[in-house]
Amino acid sequence: MRPPRTAQLVAALISALSLLVLTLCTVLFLRSYRSSIIESARTGSAQAVSQVVGTVGAYVDTLEGAVGIVKEHLGDEESARDAFLAAFLTARPEIAAITVYDEDGALLNCWAQDGRTPSEDIVRNLSFDLTTAKRLGQGYISTPHVESIFTGYYPWVVSVVRRIPDGGHRCWVSIDISFKELAGTISGVGIGRHGYCYLMDERGNMVYHPQQQLLYAGLKKEEAGHLACIGDGTYVEDTVIYSVKRVPGSPWRVVGVSYVDETVNESFWQMFRIAVATAALIFLMALAAGLVLSRFLSRPLQELESAMEQFEQDADRFAFRLVRGTREVQNLSDSFAHMVRRIQKLMTTVREEEIVLRKTELKALQAQINPHFLYNTLDSIAWMCERGKNADAVEMVHALAQLFRISISRGHELIPIEKELQHAEAYLRIQKFRYKNQFTYHFTVDESCLHCLCNKITLQPIIENSIVHGLDLMVDAGHIEITVQPDSEDILLIVEDDGIGMEPEQVSALLQNEPSDRTGIGVKNVNDRLRIYFGAEYGLSIRSAPYEGTTVTIRTPRVPEDREADYDKIH
Amino acid sequence: MTKFIKRLLPAALALALAGCAALPQDAPTSRYKVALIAKSTGQEFWNAVFTGAQAAATEYNIELTVTAPDNEEDFEGQNALIEEAVADGAKAIIFSAIDYEANAAAIDAAAQAGVVIINIDSQVNSGHVAAYIGIDNYGAGRMAAQSALDGVPGQLNVGLINYEVNGANGRDRAAGAKDAFEQSGRAKVVATAQTHPNADDARRDALEMLRDHPEINVLIALNEPSGVGAARAVHQMQRSDDLWLAAFDSNLETVDALQNGAVDALVVQNSYSMGYFGVQSAYRLLAGQGSSVDTDNVASAAVITRDNMFAMDNQRELFLFE
Repeated sequence: MRPPRTAQLVAALISALSLLVLTLCTVLFLRSYRSSIIESARTGSAQAVSQVVGTVGAYVDTLEGAVGIVKEHLGDEESARDAFLAAFLTARPEIAAITVYDEDGALLNCWAQDGRTPSEDIVRNLSFDLTTAKRLGQGYISTPHVESIFTGYYPWVVSVVRRIPDGGHRCWVSIDISFKELAGTISGVGIGRHGYCYLMDERGNMVYHPQQQLLYAGLKKEEAGHLACIGDGTYVEDTVIYSVKRVPGSPWRVVGVSYVDETVNESFWQMFRIAVATAALIFLMALAAGLVLSRFLSRPLQELESAMEQFEQDADRFAFRLVRGTREVQNLSDSFAHMVRRIQKLMTTVREEEIVLRKTELKALQAQINPHFLYNTLDSIAWMCERGKNADAVEMVHALAQLFRISISRGHELIPIEKELQHAEAYLRIQKFRYKNQFTYHFTVDESCLHCLCNKITLQPIIENSIVHGLDLMVDAGHIEITVQPDSEDILLIVEDDGIGMEPEQVSALLQNEPSDRTGIGVKNVNDRLRIYFGAEYGLSIRSAPYEGTTVTIRTPRVPEDREADYDKIH
Repeated sequence: MTKFIKRLLPAALALALAGCAALPQDAPTSRYKVALIAKSTGQEFWNAVFTGAQAAATEYNIELTVTAPDNEEDFEGQNALIEEAVADGAKAIIFSAIDYEANAAAIDAAAQAGVVIINIDSQVNSGHVAAYIGIDNYGAGRMAAQSALDGVPGQLNVGLINYEVNGANGRDRAAGAKDAFEQSGRAKVVATAQTHPNADDARRDALEMLRDHPEINVLIALNEPSGVGAARAVHQMQRSDDLWLAAFDSNLETVDALQNGAVDALVVQNSYSMGYFGVQSAYRLLAGQGSSVDTDNVASAAVITRDNMFAMDNQRELFLFE
């Protein structure tokens, strides 16, 4: 995988880190916020329940106090008792009725507010339940009920039933005390934004619930049974807070129910929205930072990068334009520019030195005379002298002398074509003696070319090649045709033989291999020299076919005699 | 890189805008103001509605105002109350219509002003009602008739005492009762009286009916005042034992009458739940929890007789804490 771009990396890093921190903060904040909200809701719930417990406790105290006073006076003489109870009822308007029952639960006496008397036909007496009273022995406190023994008077009351000690046939007393005020208090207690209280007994039976109608109609449910099993305290179940507390001196417990979901979830979503908005903002800023970085760092770096690529591909012609950016980038750019200059300079130097070296090398080669050629020629001359062929010997010596004179040419590399032709002819004359007239030769020269310059010892290696590889192996006499002709701005030197020719492999080997010490300068060197001096478009081209002969064409620029200095820089 | 940023820029902008748009939603911090506009205040039925509404208002921390016109025929007074509630800044109105048609314009106007309308007990002809909570009046009529069919053997000669000509409730209850009697095959509606919704008029009309049609052995009184009037008439004619009177709703007098036999059955609506769910629906609609509100909530009704009147659940239906 390719490594990412800097600006992208920075934008991604900033975004990722900020998001991480933001998420962490949000989560932590929400967590602590939620727990603090729940904590305060718990406190609120517990406080509300405590207040209700206080009120209900006071109510229970009232019940017990009233029953104590009534029990004290029940044994009084009848008229005194009636007078006292009448006064008592007047003083305590919350007491709806005082009723007395015998062993079998039959109603014996009744004192009520405003001197009410019980209906003749009581449908059902809710103020006294003999079964419960007997079961519990000393009496009980009933759940709230409607006062059902009168006509047209149906207050909600709680009955306190107590056994009357030493009361003769009066066995039970029941005091009905109004429940309305307490009901109002309980109904009026709201907890937090959404919550209420209710009253249950120890076994989880509903005593009073502000929405009891809904419970009966099945439109609402309470967890009273479940809560009856656990002790007093505050419990958070999912999104509901239950606060349970026993009312001292009574079988009742107050339950506060409140809901935390709305407030907590509301805050959660608000926080979530803030977090999203912040995240978007941070993302935006990260992008902006990325943009700035891209402008000042990434883009200049990219420019530098592409500049380096270009330099890599074409170091010679590369021209560097300075890159603008941050200080580091500019320093880098300056250094790179410096380096480019240095490298290009070095390259030029190296190339020039290489050319000089090569020219020197070739010059050294030219100075060498193939020793075998010299031995053989001298042997031939010696042989001629022995046989008394003095004239021939003289001519050989002349030719040899001419050969050497032109070879040296006072150290000049470029010589007039005329001289080069003389050099070639001297060589041919010597070889013709040695090969006993096995070949003929002929020069066809355009006069206009004679005074132009060419590399010295250009023709001789080619002719040597023609003789050694083309004519020497032939049975019949061969012919070498040497042509000099202009070709627009260039001059062509053509050496053509009708020898045995060469295979294409031999041709290419001829232009690539360095010559062995037997063969002198060699064809390749001629080609190399031409190219070094005049460029790649000049040099040799060889056309050859087996058994048909070889044609070597040498292309050289037309160099007038006075322009020698332009080309021959090494003396 | 720049291309990459340019591609992402609109997305980021959109995200930021969305975030900002989502940000300044005001949290519902203040208490909601809700108005309950009833048909009248004197009846036990309405007191239970108010109790239920108050219980929900306490539970949901709502500022509740309860109003009603002077009598149960004053739809103009009700329209004035609607306007008052809107002017007072109520966010929701819980409304029981005296007149199905005549109250519609005022309710539409309130809804136009952005007030959430919740209909309880009696419907109003408006398309802006967000939720309706009431009993199945036709079914309640059938229940009253069925109690008579169960309690009286042989041939039933029925007298119907109806009220509020323009109200939907009385019409539906009468239809339910008539259908039930007709289907029984042994009952005949011999007389129908339209009375004003007050006990004295109802008593007069019932007496007249009983005198005109002595063969009547079943009376159905379709609301609270007509039930009271009918009970008085039955008591006055001393026909408690040989006449079955089924009345709607309850109050002290009809409960007494139930005990002494003048009234034989009471069809009691769970009017507490109308008040409670009315306010609860208002809260949920205002707090944006509208999806949890039933648009058509049928409250329950029950038949109460002498035998079960002091059962704990019926006590709470019959007797309010007051």
